[in-house]
Amino acid sequence: MQQTQSERRLSSPGGNKGGGAQSRSSLSLTDWALRLIGLAFIDGIAIWFALTLYNNNNPIAAVVVLLITAGINVIFLSERLYPLRWMSPGLVLLLLMVIYPICYNVYISFTNNSSGHTLSKEQVVDKFKQQTFQPKDAETYSWTAYRSPEGKYRLVLQNKQQNKSFIGDESGLKPYDAPATLPASIDNFQKLNSFQAASASKQLEALNLKTADLAIQITSSTEAKELKSKYSYEAVSNKLTDLESNTVYTPVKGTFTAPDGKTIAPGYADVVGGDNYGKVFSDNNITGPFVGVFIWTFIFAALSVFLTFAVGLGMALILNDDKLPLRTLFRVLLFIPYTIPAFISSLVWAGLFSIVGPVGETAKTIFGQGFSWFSDPNLAKVMILFVNTWLGYPYMMLICLGALQSIPGDIYEAATIDGATRVQKFWSLTLPLLLVSVGPLLIGSFAFNFNNFGIIQLMTQGGPDDPTTTTPAGKTDILITYTYRLAFASGKGSDLGLAATISLFIFIIIATITAVSFRYTKQLEEVYN
Amino acid sequence: MTNKLYKRVALLLTLAMFALVLAACGDATNTAGTAATTSAAAATTSAAAATTSAAAATTSAVAATTSAAVATTSVAATTSAAVTTPAATTAAAVTTAAATTTAAVTTAPPATTAAGTPTPKPASSKEGTLVIWLDTNRRKALDPLIKDFIAKNNIQVTLQELDFGGIRDQLKLAGPAGQGPDIIIGANDWLGELVSNGLIDPVDLSAKTSSFDPVAIKAFTYNGKTYGLPYATEAIALVYNKDLVPTAPKTWEELKTVAKKLQDDKKVEQAFTLQQGDPYHTYPVFTGFGGYVFGKNSDGTYNPKDLGLDNAGSKAAATELDSMVKSGLLRKDVSGDIAKDNFQKGKTAMIFTGPWNIKDFKAANVNFGVANIPTMKETARPFVGSQGFMVSSFGKNKLLAQTFLTDFLATDTTMKAIYDADPRFPAWTSVQAGVDPLVKAFGESAKVGDPLPAIPQMAGVWDSWTKSLNLIFQQQVAPEKAMSDAANAIREKIK
Amino acid sequence: MSSVKASVADKVTPSKREGTISGAQRLNIILKLAVAIFACFVSLYPIAYVIGASINPTNSISDLVPKNASFSNYSKLFNDEQYPVLLWLFNSVKVAALSTILAVTLTTFAAYAFSRFRFAGRRQGLLVILLIQLFPNTLAIVSLYLLLLQIGDLIPWLGLNTHGGLILIYSGGALGFNTWLMKGFFDTIPKELDESGVIDGATRSQIFFQILLPLIRPILAVIGILAFIGTYADFLVAKVMLTSKENYTLPVGLTLLLGDNGGQRAANWGLFAAAALIGALPIVIVFLFLQKQIVGGLTTGAVKG
Repeated sequence: MQQTQSERRLSSPGGNKGGGAQSRSSLSLTDWALRLIGLAFIDGIAIWFALTLYNNNNPIAAVVVLLITAGINVIFLSERLYPLRWMSPGLVLLLLMVIYPICYNVYISFTNNSSGHTLSKEQVVDKFKQQTFQPKDAETYSWTAYRSPEGKYRLVLQNKQQNKSFIGDESGLKPYDAPATLPASIDNFQKLNSFQAASASKQLEALNLKTADLAIQITSSTEAKELKSKYSYEAVSNKLTDLESNTVYTPVKGTFTAPDGKTIAPGYADVVGGDNYGKVFSDNNITGPFVGVFIWTFIFAALSVFLTFAVGLGMALILNDDKLPLRTLFRVLLFIPYTIPAFISSLVWAGLFSIVGPVGETAKTIFGQGFSWFSDPNLAKVMILFVNTWLGYPYMMLICLGALQSIPGDIYEAATIDGATRVQKFWSLTLPLLLVSVGPLLIGSFAFNFNNFGIIQLMTQGGPDDPTTTTPAGKTDILITYTYRLAFASGKGSDLGLAATISLFIFIIIATITAVSFRYTKQLEEVYN
Repeated sequence: MTNKLYKRVALLLTLAMFALVLAACGDATNTAGTAATTSAAAATTSAAAATTSAAAATTSAVAATTSAAVATTSVAATTSAAVTTPAATTAAAVTTAAATTTAAVTTAPPATTAAGTPTPKPASSKEGTLVIWLDTNRRKALDPLIKDFIAKNNIQVTLQELDFGGIRDQLKLAGPAGQGPDIIIGANDWLGELVSNGLIDPVDLSAKTSSFDPVAIKAFTYNGKTYGLPYATEAIALVYNKDLVPTAPKTWEELKTVAKKLQDDKKVEQAFTLQQGDPYHTYPVFTGFGGYVFGKNSDGTYNPKDLGLDNAGSKAAATELDSMVKSGLLRKDVSGDIAKDNFQKGKTAMIFTGPWNIKDFKAANVNFGVANIPTMKETARPFVGSQGFMVSSFGKNKLLAQTFLTDFLATDTTMKAIYDADPRFPAWTSVQAGVDPLVKAFGESAKVGDPLPAIPQMAGVWDSWTKSLNLIFQQQVAPEKAMSDAANAIREKIK
Repeated sequence: MSSVKASVADKVTPSKREGTISGAQRLNIILKLAVAIFACFVSLYPIAYVIGASINPTNSISDLVPKNASFSNYSKLFNDEQYPVLLWLFNSVKVAALSTILAVTLTTFAAYAFSRFRFAGRRQGLLVILLIQLFPNTLAIVSLYLLLLQIGDLIPWLGLNTHGGLILIYSGGALGFNTWLMKGFFDTIPKELDESGVIDGATRSQIFFQILLPLIRPILAVIGILAFIGTYADFLVAKVMLTSKENYTLPVGLTLLLGDNGGQRAANWGLFAAAALIGALPIVIVFLFLQKQIVGGLTTGAVKG
C-alpha cells in the first residue's frame, strides 16, 4: 500500500494521474450528459436483467448483476477511479467468463460430483417420484385412444385374458363390451393410431382412469397398467420412502441409503466438504509417483519455454535483417506451422516418429537401427520437447518480431559508437529490453506448458509406462495428464469433484512458482514501474 | 461541490426513469408490483453506490445475505433454475433449425393444455415435437422416411445432426438443463454412465424383442432392463491379405505357423500385427486362453466384484503375448494407425480389426478377407459393440418417443434403410440375410462375442489394463506380474 | 522518411550504413540464409505429410505422395450439400474476427490504463490478471454452458447456439497475457509524448487515439493474429455451445465429418487434413495482411519526430 501511495505521488500531475486538475475542470456539460445517458442506459438494462433473473428464481445472479452495475456506476462517476474506466469492459467480461468458472470449479471441488452423482437433488427426487410399481393383483391392459372433433379423448382398455374391457374419459371408467376388433369410431370419436395417441399423451394422462383403488397409467405404446407410486418423499424430514417395501431411505453424501446400507441410484451431487482434498493427500495412486511426475513436469515446462523462445528469437533476429533475401517468404513459411491445429500436427509427428515412419526409417538407414522413440523414456522426452518446440516457436517468433520493433534504434547507434560488438549488443541491449515486454509471456508460456494436456496425450499418452508402480503413471506424464487420468478413469467412472480439486492444487503450485519468480526477477519487476 | 451533487441527483432521476420504463416493458404482466418495488430498491442501491463505494458494499452485503438464505447452494440454484425455465430462445433456435435442416410440418397438435400444466411457459410448445439427436449416416437414412412419417401422422420431428461422440457429451449438459432431445443415438458402452447419471429411461421393446439379434439386446441390457433399441452390432475379426495368406487360419497355432513362414521367407516384415497397449483389440487373446474381464451373473450381466484379469487364463494369454514378442511374431510400439497403414501397404498380412476399416482397405486396393478370430484354447471372443436408439429421461414426449422406437424404428423398412445408408451388421434379424459378405463376416464374429461392458467401473479397467499390455509388449515386466499388478490396481480403484 | 525506415531496419545489423557489403557480412548473410532454409525445411516437413494425408483416399497419415492420390477429400468437403463447409468457414472467420477486434480493443484499453496511470491495486491487478490465466480450468465449459443458458433466457442473441455468446466467451479471456505484452509495449513509448499532447490541450482520449494508437500498430497486429488464431482453431468450447449445423464454426463442423464413422474407432484423417489446410488459408491471409504492420513499425521514428 505504501508503495502505491508513493507511486501516485511520483506520477506527474499533468497527464498521468487519474484526472489532473486541468482535465477535470474542462469537463463540459455535454460530456456529463452523454456519460449520464450512457450510464442510465446500462443501468436500465441491468436492472431489467436483474429483475428478470429474480423472477426466474435466480436471486444470486440478480444480485451479482446489480453489484457489477453498481461497480460500473462508481467507476464512471468517481474521478479517482478514472483508470478503471479504461479497464471496466474487459474486467466485466473477465469476471463473467474467467472468474465465475473458477468459482464454479472451487464449488465443485467440495462436492461429490461424479458418475452417478451429477444431477441436482430436486431432479433426483423428481425421478424417484415418477417411478411406479405394479402391485400384486394389479391388471395390465392394452389400450386404444379415440378423439372427438372437439378434441376430447376416450380410452378403451382391454384385458384379453380375463375378457375385461373398459372405456374411460374425464368422468371415469365404464365397462365396455368390446367387439373382436375395435371399431374405427365410437360415437363421433375417431380411433387414433399409436403415434397420434402418443403425441396426445398429456391429454390422455388427464383422463380419469381409476379402478376401485388403483390408477391406470399408460406405460408403453400398447400397454397400460394399474400402478402405484413407488416412492414418496418428505422434504421436511428429508426421507424417501419406498412404498412397495416400506424401506425408508435417507441421504448420505448424495446417495439415498436404507438403514441396512442398501442404496438406490441415481445419487445427486452433494456438498461433501473436504473429502476430495483428503483423497488427494491419502490416495496412494496420487501421492506415490507424485515427485517424479512433478520434476518432469517442471523440466518439460521450463525447457519448452526456453527452446521455443530461443528458436523463436533466433529466427526473429534472422528475419529482422533486411539484407536477408526473400525475407517475406521466409516469414510466411516459418509461420505456417502455427496455422495448422496443434492436435493434427501432433498426431502427424507421432506418425513420423514411429518405427515405420519416415523419421524412424531415416534413423534406421543412418544408424543401422531404429530408435524406439516411444518405449525409451529419454528418447520419448526428447521427442516431446522437439515437437513442442516445433509447435510453439512461431508464436515466440511473432512476438519477438513485434517486440524488436519497439527497441529504439538510437540505443544501438550509441553502443556502436562505444565500440560494442554485435554479441555484446545482443546480450546487454536486445535481450534485456526484449524481456521487459516478452517476460510475462514467457511465464504465461511456462504455465501453459505446465498444463499442456494436449501434446502429452496425443504423442505418448504419458508412456512409456513406469514398471515400478502399479498406478498408470508413465515416464512422460505431466501432472495434469496423470492426475486427470486418475480423475476420469477412477473406479466409479469420471470424478469431476476430484478433477476440480486437482485443478486447484495444480493452480496453487503454478501460481506460487509464478508469484515467486516475479518477486525475484529483476526484468519482471521493471514491468511494474 | 454543490454542482456535482446536483449532477448526481439528475443522474439518479434519469436512472430511475430508465429502469422503470425498461422494467415495465420487460415484465409488464404478472409482476408489476415487484418490478416497481425492486427497481426502486435497485435505484437506491445505485444511489448509494454513486455516493460512496463503501455504502454500496454494505447494501449489497445485505442483499447477498438475504439471497443466500433463499438458495442453499449457488450452483444448485443455478441448475434448478435452468431446469425450470426452458429457454424460449433456444426453442426458437431449434425450430429455426427444424425449418432449415429438416422437413418440419407446420401443423402441430392442439397445444391448448393450459388446464393440465400449472405453470404455462412459452417453451411448452416443445411438447408434441420429437427431437432426435443422431449422426450423419442415420440422418441420411431417416430423412426420407421421416418426411413420410410427418406427412402421415401430423407430428413434428426434428432431426438434429451431431457427431457421434458429441451426442453423449452434449446430453450430459443439455439433458438436465432442459435443452436436451427426446431420443438419441448412442453406443452400448455409454449405458453405464448414462443410466447411473439418470439420463436415459428404459425402453419397452415388448413383443419386438425377438426380432433383434440376441447379442444386441444383451448389449443394451443394463441392470436387467433394456435401455435402447439396437440397430447394428460390430466386433473385430481376423482380416487377412489374400495375396499373402490364401486361406484364413482356423486355429491360433496355424496362424503362428503361417506368420512365421511369411517372416522367414522375408515376404513381409511383420506377418501378424496387434496394436500395442490396446485392450479392445487384445481381448480375444485373453478370452481364447480362458481369461475374462468381469465374470458374469446368472442373467448374463457383468459382475464388477469378479475381476478375471489375473486368473490363470488371463495370465496364460499374457505369457503367450510375451513369448510372441520374444520370438518376433509380435512387435512393440505399433499404434492402431500404423497397424492399419502397414496392412494397407502389404507390410502386414493379418490384423485384428473391425468393419470400420473396410472402406479404407478397399480404397487401398488390398485383396483381403475376413474370418472369425482363430480358436485358441477355446473360442476367442471379441468385444461386441452395438449402436442403438435411446430415450432421454429429460424429454418432454416420453410416450411419443417410446412409440416412435417400437412402432416406427423397429420395422423392416426403417431398419433396411438404416443398413443401406451405412452398411453395418444389422441388429434386426430379418435384414441380416441380405447384407454384404464382408459385413456379414464381421457380423459372424460379433455373434460369438461378449458385449462391451457398460458398467462405469470399466473406465478404471481400461487404464490399468492398457498399462499392463504396454509393459508386456515392451518386455519390462514379467507377463504374469503385469497382469496381477493391473488386477490389484483395478480392485483398489473399484473398491 | 526513408532515413527513419533505414534506422529502424538497422536495429539488429546497424553497420549497414557503410554502403558496400564486406566479406564478413556476406558470410553472415549466407549463414543466416542457411539457417532460415533449414528452419523452413523442418517447419514444413510435417506439413507436407498433412498435405499428403489430405489427398490420400485411404485415411493414412504416413505418406508423402500416396498411391491413388485423389482430391476426393476436398470434393467431399465442398460438394456434399449436407456439409456447408463454406458457411462454416465464414462463421469461423466472423466469430474469430469479431472476438479479435473486441479482445484487442479491451486489451489495449486496459494496457493503456496499466501503463499510464498509477492507482491503488495496480500491481496486484496486474498480477491477478496473470495468475488467473494459469488456472487449469477443465470444468469451465460446464459453468459457461449454464451461464450462456441463463443469459440466453434474457438476451437471445447472446445465449447458447449463438455466435454472440461464443464471442462473449472468447472475449472473456482477453485480459490475459496479452495485456502484459501490450503494457510492456506502451511502457516503451516515452511519457513525454503524452505530456506534449496535454500541453497542446488534447484530452486523454485524444492522446490515446491520436498519438499512442498509431505507435502501437506492430503489437496490435501481433496480438490480433494471436487472438485470431486462438479463437479460430478452438473447437472444444464451440462444440458445446453451438448446437445447430448452420451455426457451426469450421472445427466443429469437422467433428461432424469425423463422426461419419459412428463408432469413432477409425478416424477420417484425410478429411480432417484437407479441412485443416483449407482452414489454415484464412490465417495465412490474415498474416500476410498484417505482417507489414508487424515488421514495419515506426515507433522510434515517431518518437524522434
